[in-house]
Amino acid sequence: MAAESKLAPIRKGLLEFLVLKIVGAQSIYVPDILRQLAGTEFATQEGTLYPLLSKLRREDLVQYEWQESEAGPPRKYYRLTATGRAQLAALDDYWNLINRTIADFGH
Amino acid sequence: MQRIATTVRLNRSVLQFDDAAHARLERYLAESTSLLEGDPDPQEILADLEQAVADQCIRRLGPGQIVVTLAELAPALEEIGSVQAPGDGVAAPSATMSREPSPRLLQQFSEGAVISGVCLGLARYFRLDVTLLRVIAVLMLLGTGGAMVLVYLALMLLLPHAPLDPGGARVRWLPARCRAFMQYVRAKLGVDRPGKVAA
Repeated sequence: MAAESKLAPIRKGLLEFLVLKIVGAQSIYVPDILRQLAGTEFATQEGTLYPLLSKLRREDLVQYEWQESEAGPPRKYYRLTATGRAQLAALDDYWNLINRTIADFGH
Repeated sequence: MQRIATTVRLNRSVLQFDDAAHARLERYLAESTSLLEGDPDPQEILADLEQAVADQCIRRLGPGQIVVTLAELAPALEEIGSVQAPGDGVAAPSATMSREPSPRLLQQFSEGAVISGVCLGLARYFRLDVTLLRVIAVLMLLGTGGAMVLVYLALMLLLPHAPLDPGGARVRWLPARCRAFMQYVRAKLGVDRPGKVAA
């Protein structure tokens, strides 16, 4: 499908936004982020998510803390920093804005 | 006696792999390492990936099974996927930093210019000190009895203007007037090259 080649970069660009949203809703570890994304257009893998989270952490948008788990090694739970929260709010606003703009055209 | 497994530490977990799985694992980690080249913090990502591999393999081990084989490792790696660098996402201002260097262009720079930015442009193009170039220009102006003015005017007309830095370039009054005037003249003469004279 020809449209697919245009949709893929859109999804890729929006993944970061979505991850910020998911992490913003609750303190969460990676397998649960993947489970939330699975079955959506944004289904992804650890090989993609870990580099992205590492980048977001360097940009001081997310931070993590270790939490013990009943089984296996401790887990990294991610949550937003104050900067991350501000950026998520800005992205959310912008997303609503462009959504309205797109909807307004072509009538 | 026969060695049947290699003990491997993956971040915080220790697991045993048979030879085929061990080779496959080493290949995956080497691939990931090379894909993360250029990432400022590859160690953290690799540690996370190692942990992901360990967790996935442990989940797939059958009851009483100690040694990880390809039967567990292959689907685990399939699920984890190969390393993807984060794309130029909507919230990735840092991504613009890694753009390829622009080719060296002969153009005039309004920002930091004294008159129109011709000397600045020539200095940047030839990688010379701009003050040196300005001194040479003034000396030539005096030496040629003013004819250098024509050369300067010709260069003002011919050299495209470098795009101004986004977010408020600081351009002094005279260079700003020169820039606006030359763009007006170019438009009138029809020598405006689209794309070169960006606002």
